[in-house]
Amino acid sequence: MPGGGADFQNGIMSKKNSAPVLQAEGLTKRYGRRAALSEVDLTIPAGRVVGLVGPNGAGKSTLLNLACGLLKPTSGSLRVLGSRPAENAAHLARVGFVAQDTPVYPSFSVADHLRLGARLNPSWDQELAERRITQVGLNPGQKAGRLSGGQRAQLALTIAAAKRPELLIFDEPAAALDPLARRGFLENLVEFVAELGASAVLSSHLLSDIERICDHLIVLCEARVQVAGKVRDLLAGHHRLVASQGELDRLPAGVEVIRMEHNGQYSRALVRTDVPPSSIPCPVEPVTLEELVLGYMSRANAAPAATVGAAAGEGPR
Amino acid sequence: MIWLNWRQFRLQALAGAAGLALIAVYLLYLGVEIRDAYDAYRTRCSDPGNCAQARSQFQSTYQNTLLFLAGGLGLIPIIIGTFWGAPLIARELELSTHRLVWNQSVPRRRWLISRMAFVGLAAMILTGLVSLLLTWAASPYDQVAADRFGAVVFGARNIAPIGYAFLAFALGTVVGLLVRRTLPAMAITGVVFLVLQFSVPNLVRPHLIPPEKTTMPMTSQDINQARNLGSITGAPSIGGLQVPGAPDAWISETSPLRTADGRTLGESTFNDCLNTPPKTGAGGTFGDTAVCLSKLNLHVDIEYQPSSRYWPFQLTETGLYLVVSGILIAIAIRRIRHA
Repeated sequence: MPGGGADFQNGIMSKKNSAPVLQAEGLTKRYGRRAALSEVDLTIPAGRVVGLVGPNGAGKSTLLNLACGLLKPTSGSLRVLGSRPAENAAHLARVGFVAQDTPVYPSFSVADHLRLGARLNPSWDQELAERRITQVGLNPGQKAGRLSGGQRAQLALTIAAAKRPELLIFDEPAAALDPLARRGFLENLVEFVAELGASAVLSSHLLSDIERICDHLIVLCEARVQVAGKVRDLLAGHHRLVASQGELDRLPAGVEVIRMEHNGQYSRALVRTDVPPSSIPCPVEPVTLEELVLGYMSRANAAPAATVGAAAGEGPR
Repeated sequence: MIWLNWRQFRLQALAGAAGLALIAVYLLYLGVEIRDAYDAYRTRCSDPGNCAQARSQFQSTYQNTLLFLAGGLGLIPIIIGTFWGAPLIARELELSTHRLVWNQSVPRRRWLISRMAFVGLAAMILTGLVSLLLTWAASPYDQVAADRFGAVVFGARNIAPIGYAFLAFALGTVVGLLVRRTLPAMAITGVVFLVLQFSVPNLVRPHLIPPEKTTMPMTSQDINQARNLGSITGAPSIGGLQVPGAPDAWISETSPLRTADGRTLGESTFNDCLNTPPKTGAGGTFGDTAVCLSKLNLHVDIEYQPSSRYWPFQLTETGLYLVVSGILIAIAIRRIRHA
């Protein structure tokens, strides 16, 4: 890695820049007896647009609310930009958060919201805020309670971004939007991230959103991280194997089966490998991101019964 | 934060200011009227024969008005608690706007302290002004009536209402933070504070300063000065006495009639005197009964607070309310981290 030597020489400055935006160790959050997150270990490097996918109730919101300090972990540690979440005013200024359903004050006008941002954030960029508000066609005098879902989301995004944070966190920002508004919102989001040079983490249960704008992916399911990494690396490290029955039972070391499907004479397997595809003794096909994510999700869903079920189901065939 | 405080509070502040203006106009008018009536009463007093009658006439003209005012304005703290305190955090939690405002560069505790200070101060100023006006308006009457320790009147004068308002506000805020919903928080705050305002004058206030104790012998003259004698249970009770030499003192506890050996007077003896006293032709409120009882060599033990303790009581009660408010605020500051 060429960055390694530079880090040593540049000392503190580069250390700050290279600190992971999010680092979790054994992170656990329980609501009563139910674990929303269970022993999560996760590192997100700086400079990425990270997509957090998983079914509803997987723990995505919990993870993001922990990251911005609205929730406290039950156990384990979580560091955001090298500090405890929401540790102090300076740290709050470095993280922008857009909550689920993009809450705003119904009785405040759009301009009031910008004023709120300006009064409460020392690093506020009024020029940026006003430019964006104009760009998305919001009337500054309009009461936020009368805005459509898409307009409200744009307003919440602008407030979060105009404090010029180093990290933007979005919790299902586009969930309630119609397809057109969603597209506009996501485009705007990407522009903001690029303009600010910020990192971003956004959760969604819609893979298409993630696929369009993210370069890093985390699959969260059943309170655990199933897989995480750069989208490009993930696609390069996963393959679809199609072969006749039995042939897939003898795979070389270093090839892990994520999901196996049997279809008549043939079997299809989603595998993760760290060996070159050429060393696999059957046809190797590339996978789509959707296939990859679904593979991990169905493995997680089946997990409690998986070991028993797999053995019993495959034995007699 | 000041801008945000004002922006979020301005409607409530406007309503409060409008209410204050109405109350102020009425109290100024009433104060002037009471002063005129007082001057008229003093003028009639130049003839000593008319003085007692003029005095009681002046007193009875304003007694009910001022009592209703004290009771009515005593609701202001409850209104503050329910309409200013309870929604302060509950509304943010209900609309999820806490997720917006807590992610600006103002730490949550500073946000809470700032919001509570702003609205809490407004609550204290509003009730302080109302109390000041009422105390001023009623001062000629209070001087004549010598009832400053009256359960309702005490809480409607001078600084006590300021303590009430701040506690009601702090209570509303904490209930809102714990309940997280505006309407239930308003209801709970109103009920809890109402219960508090009924129980403190009776259960707590008499014990704020250890009372003086004395024994009053019950001569027929003393008995005739009482306002009531006996009770529906038949117990030998007496009420509405005045401490000899200290007519303004507040009697917080009166024992039943007791015999010379300190025992409570037997109910049959008492009721004999009450129902079939020997005829003596004596006058006074209780006539023959008073004479009959006075022959039994009775006394009562009373606990009382001299009127010189009025200000110590005002200060202690206000201080107590402020301390409890402080505890509630500390709870809110602790809880807000986990909200």
